[in-house]
Amino acid sequence: MEELKENKAKELIKESTPKVLIVDDEKGLRLGTQRLLEMEGYYVETAENGTEGIEKGTNNDFDLAVIDLKMPDIDGLQVLAEIKNARPNTVCLIATAYASYDTAIESTRLGAYGYIPKPFTPDELLYNLQKAYTQRVLMLESEQLKKEREANLLELANERSRLSTIINLIGDGVLVINKQGEVVYRNNAVFKNLNIVEAKNNIELLSKLPDKIIDLIDNYLGSDELIKKSYSTQIEIIHNELFVEAVTSPVPNPDGTLAGVAVVIRNITELKKIELIKNQFVSMVAHELKTPVAAVLGFLKIIIDKNLNISDQQRDDFVSRSILRLRSLLDLVNDLLDISRMELKTKQREIVTLDIKEIIKSTVELLEIEAQKRSISFNIVMENYVPVIKADQNEITRLFTNILSNAVKYNKEEGSINIITGSNENYLIVKVIDTGIGLKDDDKEKLFQEFYRVKNEHTRGISGTGLGLTIVKQIVDSYHGKIEVESQYGKGTTFTIYLPINNNN
Amino acid sequence: MQHSDKIKTILLVDDDIDLLEQNKLLMESKGFNVVTAESGKEGFEVFTKVKPDLAIIDLIMEEYDSGFILCHRIKKTEHGKRIPVFILTSATYNTGFKFSSETKEEREWIKCDGILNKPVVVDELISKLNNYFDE
Repeated sequence: MEELKENKAKELIKESTPKVLIVDDEKGLRLGTQRLLEMEGYYVETAENGTEGIEKGTNNDFDLAVIDLKMPDIDGLQVLAEIKNARPNTVCLIATAYASYDTAIESTRLGAYGYIPKPFTPDELLYNLQKAYTQRVLMLESEQLKKEREANLLELANERSRLSTIINLIGDGVLVINKQGEVVYRNNAVFKNLNIVEAKNNIELLSKLPDKIIDLIDNYLGSDELIKKSYSTQIEIIHNELFVEAVTSPVPNPDGTLAGVAVVIRNITELKKIELIKNQFVSMVAHELKTPVAAVLGFLKIIIDKNLNISDQQRDDFVSRSILRLRSLLDLVNDLLDISRMELKTKQREIVTLDIKEIIKSTVELLEIEAQKRSISFNIVMENYVPVIKADQNEITRLFTNILSNAVKYNKEEGSINIITGSNENYLIVKVIDTGIGLKDDDKEKLFQEFYRVKNEHTRGISGTGLGLTIVKQIVDSYHGKIEVESQYGKGTTFTIYLPINNNN
Repeated sequence: MQHSDKIKTILLVDDDIDLLEQNKLLMESKGFNVVTAESGKEGFEVFTKVKPDLAIIDLIMEEYDSGFILCHRIKKTEHGKRIPVFILTSATYNTGFKFSSETKEEREWIKCDGILNKPVVVDELISKLNNYFDE
């Protein structure tokens, strides 16, 4: 066994040519040792005194050093100390004829690997060097491992800090609770999303968590079996101002048992606000749809009720009023569909070069009959040069139909409607000036809101869906244009529409 | 149908002239005297002039809260405190408008004696009215 080891060591030495430094003031011993070791496969350098020994031994990384204890200039123990200080992995042997207990202790303290008593035989020297070299190899390996471990630890630390930075940067709160119900990790967003102003420690943080989150966590911690599902809950943290969604998920150990619970807390306030707006819109739509249906239903019930005994004239009146209500209901449904399509952008648009003059002229023609009934006159003033725009013909026609039909509907008897087109560098500008009932400031602000209809003594009996100007605004916005309203109550209203000119043509 | 001797006068306020006319016709057929108004403003004028035995007011008229405002105005008067006032609306919990007359606090806040949902089932309404007049 021992022999096997020795053979292995010999092979190793031949393969790797260990570097040995011999420090000895005896020339014969130096040369003899050098020759012997070189034959055995070592690379040998020598130093004839302590000073040279320190110089060579500290400047080069020798695998092994054999240092004579007694030298005329510098003591061998000092040489040992200097070399060990600069090269801790150089394995040093002390060679001496004056071995004493004290120097043995001192040299071991200074890092000597062993003692070779002088005079030594070649075998004794070789045996000691082999052992020393094995030690050297072990030391190097251990150092390598240490370096690797340190590098791994550093890498791990870096990774952790990277992860921590990332988790702290995200807007969602991240909270991890261990099996004992203690907070083991939380990022800053937890505080922000739950509106927790201050928590001195994790225990205080735990006490400030909303009950709904605690309940979800307890669900996992209290169960004997690992719950694999995630749960979510929505919590109103600040009334109408801060809503969050908390999602809890189990964190399993490698053996499948529960290690803890991870909670992700997301701010969903914006979503909630949109939901609220949507709900309000749906409520308004429901109301607007229900009203005409109720009116028609009422008329039909009255007509069919024999006990009421209404006259033929009344019956005819109720039927035609029902038809009017149903027509306006149909208009409303169509307007709603248009709005929805425009909002969803599913409407098929056909963008073409449009002549706005033609669109205005044909729209006026359509409204002429209605206007003439109340002696309202149209007056169109167009610049010779009106720039073309690129847009969908149906949408632009719809825009002017809504604006101009309002100008007719809300006008006075024998009123007028002036349409003036012009342009500046960027926009095609159309002004529609009516001599109608005008708008109060309050009404002006709400004019483009869905279902908003001005109600006063002048507007009685004027029918409409309350969506006409909403649609106008949507169309104008979708082309990045703008619309302005000026009005004087009782005198009239002016709408100014700006549509971007396509400068490429 | 009526249990008391005098013919009861009901004030109906609704900006939907179709519904207004229908309800007037139906209530008149049940023996009530019906006066109407088409806005909150007009409603109060008619109320002051006629002093009805009961008022039924549509909620959303010229403004979204016109019915509430008229209700408050009526209930501030001596006569208004003595008569039942109902809010008539299709805006309910189901359609997302969150108010009701379930609790005393709510009724006090709205100042009305009850909320009637559109469309009105006239027979139900009449029996409700007769209950009021019987008390």
